[in-house]
Amino acid sequence: MSDTLTQPIPANIDAVPPGRGLHRWSILIVCLVWPLIWVGGQVTTYDAGMAVPDWPGTYGYNLFLYPYQTWLFGPFDLFIEHGHRLLGALVGIASIVAVAFAFVSEPRVWVRSLSVVVLIAVIGQGALGGARVVLADRTLAMVHGCTAEIFFTLCVTLMVVTSRWWWAQSANSPRSLLQVSSFRPSGGLIALVGVVLALAYLQVLLGAQLRHVQPTASPGGFKHLVYTHIATAFLVLSLAAVAAWKLRSKAIGRQVRSAAGSEKAEANQNGCGDLTLSRPAMLLVLFVSLQITLGLATWVARYGMPLFAQTNPSMASYLVKSQAFAESLIITGHVATGALVLVTSAFLLLRLVRANYSRRPEWVAS
Amino acid sequence: MDSYFRIAGSLVGPAAIFAILAVAGCDAPPGSFNANDLYAQVVATRQNSQPGQAAADVSMVMESLFGTPDAPKLPNAIPTNLVDPENLTRAAGPVYSDEDDTHFGIYRSRCVVCHALDGSGAGPAAALQNPYPRDLRAGVFKYKSTPRGEKPTKEDLLAILKRGAPGSAMPAFDRLPQEDLDALVDYVIYLSIRGEVERRLIQFAVTEMGYGDQDGAAIDSERLILDAEGKLTDPELRQTVSQIIENVAGQWSDPTPITVPPMPDFEGDDLVAAIERGRELFHGQQANCASCHGTNGNGQAVTLDFDDWTKEFTTLLGISPGDKAAVKQMRKLGALPPRPISPRNLSWGVYRGGDDPETLYRRLVAGIAGTPMPGLLVQEGEGSTGVTLDQVWDLIAYLRSLGDLQLAGTSR
Repeated sequence: MSDTLTQPIPANIDAVPPGRGLHRWSILIVCLVWPLIWVGGQVTTYDAGMAVPDWPGTYGYNLFLYPYQTWLFGPFDLFIEHGHRLLGALVGIASIVAVAFAFVSEPRVWVRSLSVVVLIAVIGQGALGGARVVLADRTLAMVHGCTAEIFFTLCVTLMVVTSRWWWAQSANSPRSLLQVSSFRPSGGLIALVGVVLALAYLQVLLGAQLRHVQPTASPGGFKHLVYTHIATAFLVLSLAAVAAWKLRSKAIGRQVRSAAGSEKAEANQNGCGDLTLSRPAMLLVLFVSLQITLGLATWVARYGMPLFAQTNPSMASYLVKSQAFAESLIITGHVATGALVLVTSAFLLLRLVRANYSRRPEWVAS
Repeated sequence: MDSYFRIAGSLVGPAAIFAILAVAGCDAPPGSFNANDLYAQVVATRQNSQPGQAAADVSMVMESLFGTPDAPKLPNAIPTNLVDPENLTRAAGPVYSDEDDTHFGIYRSRCVVCHALDGSGAGPAAALQNPYPRDLRAGVFKYKSTPRGEKPTKEDLLAILKRGAPGSAMPAFDRLPQEDLDALVDYVIYLSIRGEVERRLIQFAVTEMGYGDQDGAAIDSERLILDAEGKLTDPELRQTVSQIIENVAGQWSDPTPITVPPMPDFEGDDLVAAIERGRELFHGQQANCASCHGTNGNGQAVTLDFDDWTKEFTTLLGISPGDKAAVKQMRKLGALPPRPISPRNLSWGVYRGGDDPETLYRRLVAGIAGTPMPGLLVQEGEGSTGVTLDQVWDLIAYLRSLGDLQLAGTSR
């Protein structure tokens, strides 16, 4: 913890980087999208995707004018499906505001473009959800679930690239005075986290196929999907652990010593590395571990206790309960935590790429 | 930095395409029920012949009589008080619900992942379950109140739906509205009758119509041909098929539960004595339960047996379940890998079919249909081959003591 974050803040801190409003707004969007994924997951868990047969209206009403009494006190399926639509609409409105923020205060053209991409993505996501309903197509429901995670990742990307940390890495930024570390992540480390991100999304695809399994799917195919899903989960855990270890280990301290001289070597001998990178990496390991635990619990909640685990009366008498709320939270929690794994990987990858770019020797020298 | 994001931006499109491709083509709306190719092979193997087009032609006839998974039909021979057409419509087809909280497609929503569209028990998730989900098409049900060879009552099916089967993947659907459960019960009966009719028709086609002949197919005049209205062209065949449906549906018309005599009022020393007598019976030659369930019901006895659904395509055809090559041929036709059936560890007091004394009584005297669990021969006086009524209750007292259950106490 002896990094330069603890140093006194210089007087020029008031040189506020552009995009602060956009950054705060993008945090709000991220905070809205994760519950949106939860509610969408509950829609699938309860198989309530067709509880409202029309779109974009709800039973003939404008989405926002549907009687709230019927929504709140009517059928549970209707409650979560209509709630999912309302929350989705809210995220859409928030995305429009984000574009406005971007065009007013954000100097970087590509960030403005990104805000537009986020808006287009949320519109596309809504249209996909609508098509799922209008066409009564379960495969579109699966695609809708998979693209939701891409949208979430885009929102997190917007949040990261508009952050104070991101700005502080710039050589032109006054906050470069607060540079916490001159550790420059290697291309190999970036590739490693990139693989974790790709595998995390592969897990999303595999998990979606298991959740939205077609009635005509073969038992053999389903079995292989499950085995691949489990094997990939442990692969993701291993790779994330390696990345976290590399980012925290003293090897990084040595690397910093050679790259930035003796001044930084002392700062990193505690083995924590660059906390702005190692903390997200540790969080990633934590999320993947939680996700594996939730995955096992999901299997038990959905398909009962495996025979090999029935070693005592309590385990042997486990009863699967259809439509039980606690079990539904476990199953949907597995989906939501999978989204966290994905965006944490993306978060870490973006920071690593940024650090790799901004901590080039020629920049450090300048 | 911009170049990084230009590269990243250029990857978004391909990534999205990859994501869509990864899931595209998965939506396979069920057009028809699968033909029962496995049973056609079983029948043909018994006849030392080939199934030919039997399963496919029978499937065509079945569709004309019973409809499709999305649009099921009820043949006239099935009484509507057995299967309510309205319930059939509600349970079948795609999943949706209305503003009044009426659910449709309940079978597809709750059951199909394990029991499959046609009730074959070979749904997508079936291979990872032990025991496998029930194949409803054979018309054999394990947990019921009726004698071994009879169909269950509607109440039996309702009970297993509500209660579930602990230790298996069969959930308790007690949170579903009663009308949904009723619809599911009717649909299970529909699938079972449909499956059994299909089996009998396959049997008839292979053994009586020449489908099993050496040339692999009967001549056209002997085949199951439908006219433009979807009816069998041959009036005699039409009559035969109607008769088969009537016979199968008739078995469901009035199943009678086994009458359970009054339970003795065991208390105190009487209960201890009954448990001791039950223990001796359990381990003795008369009941001989320990030979499968192990000493004190610990489930440790070494057994190698299979359920009837597995035996049908293996041992009863002279195929060893361990013969991978022979079994592989059956698996290609829809069979799940043979899996030995294990006697329950009774010392845990966990009974999938229920643990109340009445249920245990019926289980002891009727056995469990489709499994090696036999029923006891109940006789008037004591003998070497059967047990008396009192001895059945002694056994029940012992069984319930194993799981620390109180006789006539609250069920788990």
